Amino acid sequence: MTASILDGIVLGLQFGVLAAGLTLVYGLGGVLNLAYGQIAVVSGLVTLLTMEAGVPAVPAALIGLVAGGALGLIFDLTILQPVYRRHGEARVLLSLLLTLGAAFVIDGYLNWRYPLRGLNLRITGDPLVVFGVRMRMGSVVASGITIVVIGVLYWLFRYTRLGRAIRSVIQDEEGSRLVGIDPQLMMRLILVLSGVLAAIVAITRSMVAPVNVRAGFSLTVLGLIVTVVGGLGSIPGAFLAGLVLGIINSVASSYIGTFLSLIILLVAAAITIVIRPTGLLGVRE
Amino acid sequence: MLEVEGVSAGYRGSDVVRDVSFHVDEGETVMIIGSNGAGKTTLFRAVCGLLPPSSGEVRFLGEDITGLPAQKVVRRGLAFVPAERHLFPQMTVEENLMLGAYPEKPDPDTLETVLELFPRLGERFRQLAGTMSGGEQQMLAVGRALMSQPRLLVLDEPTTGLAPIVARNAYAALERLREQGLTILVAEQQVPLALAVSDRGYVLENGAIGLAGTSAELASDPRVRSAYLGVV
Ligand SMILES: Nc1ncnc2c1ncn2[C@@H]1O[C@H](COP(=O)(O)OP(=O)(O)O)[C@@H](O)[C@H]1O
Ligand SMILES: [Mg+2]
Repeated sequence: MTASILDGIVLGLQFGVLAAGLTLVYGLGGVLNLAYGQIAVVSGLVTLLTMEAGVPAVPAALIGLVAGGALGLIFDLTILQPVYRRHGEARVLLSLLLTLGAAFVIDGYLNWRYPLRGLNLRITGDPLVVFGVRMRMGSVVASGITIVVIGVLYWLFRYTRLGRAIRSVIQDEEGSRLVGIDPQLMMRLILVLSGVLAAIVAITRSMVAPVNVRAGFSLTVLGLIVTVVGGLGSIPGAFLAGLVLGIINSVASSYIGTFLSLIILLVAAAITIVIRPTGLLGVRE
Repeated sequence: MLEVEGVSAGYRGSDVVRDVSFHVDEGETVMIIGSNGAGKTTLFRAVCGLLPPSSGEVRFLGEDITGLPAQKVVRRGLAFVPAERHLFPQMTVEENLMLGAYPEKPDPDTLETVLELFPRLGERFRQLAGTMSGGEQQMLAVGRALMSQPRLLVLDEPTTGLAPIVARNAYAALERLREQGLTILVAEQQVPLALAVSDRGYVLENGAIGLAGTSAELASDPRVRSAYLGVV
């Protein structure tokens, strides 16, 4: 039991980072990015190709992060432009359609050009014993990176002027403009951040298990489930939901079976939404 | 300081406010009075950059700011306090005030002035804005606007939703700001309150300026008296 809970926490932290990238973009601009998983996969692939070109793993991973951020920026500058001109429901729907289209295009290209490739950053080393449980070195490093990322995000949003400005746009866009904040600029920054977070998820997951080029949609779906449970637009909600679902997922996998874990996550998500329609810590209706 | 010339503005191609001109000089307190639906909010939104005017010109401190987005207008020294306040409800009073100074660090002297003007904000410093009473939220909205060290403070119906005694307190605070030399433009339906603190005023009717004059002139005008002061 301790082992699966610990596994669940490790997984849950990653779920949280995955969902944070989605929930920020939604909370800030009412945009749901269905190509989010593809951004993760492409960043992973860039890391892989860079390593194959002879670059060591750490700089290659950094290049992967840059690729993720650049993809986010490209989305902001291209397919999201018509989305920004719509408001309310029309904006959400158009963002769903256009990013879904982008996801198909990216998936199609990856399947054609790089079939069966996968990023695998196996980290070797003796297992570490944590709370009496043996953890693989890959898990330990991935969790360490994830915790640092969460810490940086917390610091950014809690203590910096920029982070406060971003939160203000989420809470009241007109209010933010009245104090001198440009919501469009904040959205651009958040798309870059979201791309970097997607890349971090791809890279840290590949330290535990290979990330296949076809993993895009399942990453997006997983991110969406966590986002919805946490409450669309809520960053703390994303991490809380990530932890809860991560633990549920790994406990369920070890006691019931991996094949059912996605179903169990969906059931957990559905129950949360029935009990609390705004999600655990939702800020929007 | 502020010159509005022939401004028309509205929604979806139809103008609500037509060919409105008025001005505010340095150190003045000017009111725009008008009944519900007259177009006061639309006019202010056009002035402060939330709604691009369809024609006309807005000049502030000698520069043309017509159509400049609100986030740039506030950085030039024109701070707008909307009737709905638009605070950040899940942030503390402190964070709301700090954001008022964005992108700069909050100026300690300005913060002190704001907390002197509204001691209640100091008592509620760590409370979430969304959990405060209407009167406190109004204080915070004004305080947040003051944190940007504006040259001109524009307020849209600052007494919206406030009990009469709270509304009077809000105007007492405006009176103190006026004494400190701040230039103020205020839209109001509660005309007696606004008349007491302003130097001049304009009457907005159906999207156009009907009357203009000093507050004393307006207060004795029979049309204002019957329509806005309840005097027959
Ligand atoms: N967002 C909007 N969309 C369409 N019409 C609006 C909108 N806001 C206000 N109006 C209309 O514009 C007119 C003037 O409204 P407003 O400027 O709010 O007046 P006031 O602030 O003086 O009460 C009203 O007839 C109102 O129905
Ligand atoms: Mg109004």
